[in-house]
Amino acid sequence: MEIIKTSNLKKSYMLGNVEVKALNGVDTSIEQGEFVAIMGPSGCGKSTFLNLTGMLDTPTSGEIYLEGKDVTNMNSNMRAEYRLKYMGFVFQFFNLFNELTVMENVMFPMMLNKRSNYKERAKELLNLVGLGDRLNHLPSELSGGQQQRVTIARSLANDPKILLADEPTGNLDTASSIEIIELFRKLNQEQGQTIVMVTHSPEIGGMTDRIIHFRDGTIEH
Amino acid sequence: MSVDLRSAFFYSRKDIFKNIKIFIIITLSIILATANIIVINGLIDGMIEDLVDNTVESSVGHLNIYPDNNERFIEGIGIKEQRLATLKEVEAYSPRISATGVLSNKELSVSSTILALDPDKERKTTKLLEKLVRGAAVNPNDKNAILVSSRLAEDLKLDVGDEATLAFENGIIKVYNVKGIIRTGNLDFDSSTVIMPMDEAYRQLAIDNMASIILVKLSDKSMSEIYKPMIMQNLDVNNIRTWEEETEFVSNFANSWRSISSIISGVGLIAAAISVGIVIYINIIHKKRQIGIMKAIGTSNAFIFTVFLMEAAIFGVIGVFIGDSVGYLAIKYFEANPFLDAISQTWISARFEPQLFYIATIFSFGVTILAGVYPAIKASRVEIIKAIWGT
Ligand SMILES: Nc1ncnc2c1ncn2[C@@H]1O[C@H](COP(=O)(O)OP(=O)(O)OP(=O)(O)O)[C@@H](O)[C@H]1O
Ligand SMILES: [Mg+2]
Repeated sequence: MEIIKTSNLKKSYMLGNVEVKALNGVDTSIEQGEFVAIMGPSGCGKSTFLNLTGMLDTPTSGEIYLEGKDVTNMNSNMRAEYRLKYMGFVFQFFNLFNELTVMENVMFPMMLNKRSNYKERAKELLNLVGLGDRLNHLPSELSGGQQQRVTIARSLANDPKILLADEPTGNLDTASSIEIIELFRKLNQEQGQTIVMVTHSPEIGGMTDRIIHFRDGTIEH
Repeated sequence: MSVDLRSAFFYSRKDIFKNIKIFIIITLSIILATANIIVINGLIDGMIEDLVDNTVESSVGHLNIYPDNNERFIEGIGIKEQRLATLKEVEAYSPRISATGVLSNKELSVSSTILALDPDKERKTTKLLEKLVRGAAVNPNDKNAILVSSRLAEDLKLDVGDEATLAFENGIIKVYNVKGIIRTGNLDFDSSTVIMPMDEAYRQLAIDNMASIILVKLSDKSMSEIYKPMIMQNLDVNNIRTWEEETEFVSNFANSWRSISSIISGVGLIAAAISVGIVIYINIIHKKRQIGIMKAIGTSNAFIFTVFLMEAAIFGVIGVFIGDSVGYLAIKYFEANPFLDAISQTWISARFEPQLFYIATIFSFGVTILAGVYPAIKASRVEIIKAIWGT
């Protein structure tokens, strides 16, 4: 089943009087359970694409379908609710709430979603990412790789259908990067999690099911 | 999408308590503003009430009978007194004569008000004669004893046992013995009054059966308005004023003090509001990225607004609660330990009324919440993309 589909997706920004075309007609289709990498040179629109798919921003034109449903014109409250229930995000850096502990960071989306056994679930997820012994630490007490793993645990809190990651390993050394990608791989294989990940590293891209290449706001075929 | 208050509270609480120093400073400013409202208003209420009590106790009766317009004295007071005695609502009465004079001690002299009264009747009607600070009160048949008010005595360097010369308005000059010094706390009274027995004044002024005023004490002070017309009719007098009317000057005075206390309270509140507002605002500026993340993981604008308004509310609840308690304790302290006001020479004690609690609570809490509104709106409008990518 097609979980993400975009059709002629365009996004442009106005920089003064100059129109910057970040996306210039993108047609994609991503299947449920796929682990996809998005690659391409800097400025080609990868982040823009991810933000639009994640409903963090609205396109200038074109449509976005999630699970076959046109979500292009959803209002902001519905988007927020959709993100909470069906999506997980991992950004390049500083994803966590500084004043919450590791455990609380992971609990928070579940509290928002009014899940009942959120404490056990948070522990479970942190065990899954190998941080079961760091529950009461603050993010500032963790390494960059550990912080990204907490972010991944948090992004999985409400069992999202789609996990969107924008250069999740961009700030990490090779060893930590491999660990993160292996974690993604495991989630994808064991839980059938759909993952869309932006990366600059061909090595990391090579570990996914498929690479979508972007160039100048469009997809390279 | 409704706002999940529990999650909002969870985050607000964590955010507020992460920096204890800032938390204490902010809470302290609310505590002070709240306590300030209670203490300032309590003191001023206390001062005003003391002033009214003082005035009523020493210089006015519950009802004061005055001469008809254009007359200097009430005549035939013997009959009027007999009638007053038959009224069961009237507990006591005291006729007084007031006249002008000049009191001298050696080369010092001060123009004074001579107040003549019957000590026995006065005692039943007012507490004036209890205000002796030294010496003893005059007796009804004393012929050369006077009481001198405290400031007048100071100005003339007089003390109990000294002799002073009194010149009456008709030119008669007589030497009197200062039998006692009296202080009421009323500045006017204390700076110029000479008290003598009624009969002595009659003799020197060559009058009889007259009074400048009759003070009436009622069995129930609050009924003064109701008894006023009755007594007017019964005694055939036209000019009666109730104690409320007599102390009207106090309410004018009270109003200006109340405006001053509102200004002081207001300034405290504004200072507290500014500190709450600024701290929340700066926090929000620092947290833009986190607010962006919070929105990205699926919170609505309303949720973000609630989180930061709730922070103001938490500051408010804690600050107001402690502020109310501190204010209450301070007021209770001043109630128990009056202090002497140097300007009016009166003892000021605070007065606590539950109403002060409500006012302090409503205003402090309201202002704190208001201070949080703008930063909270600002936070709710953070744009996700800009916040997360820091542009
Ligand atoms: N908020 C914005 N305002 C103006 N231009 C923007 C904005 N965001 C992105 N752009 C422009 O849109 C284009 C695509 O940006 P985008 O961030 O999607 O690129 P990217 O492929 O993610 O690059 P990188 O690999 O460096 O992260 C760039 O030319 C960028 O300058
Ligand atoms: Mg990017």
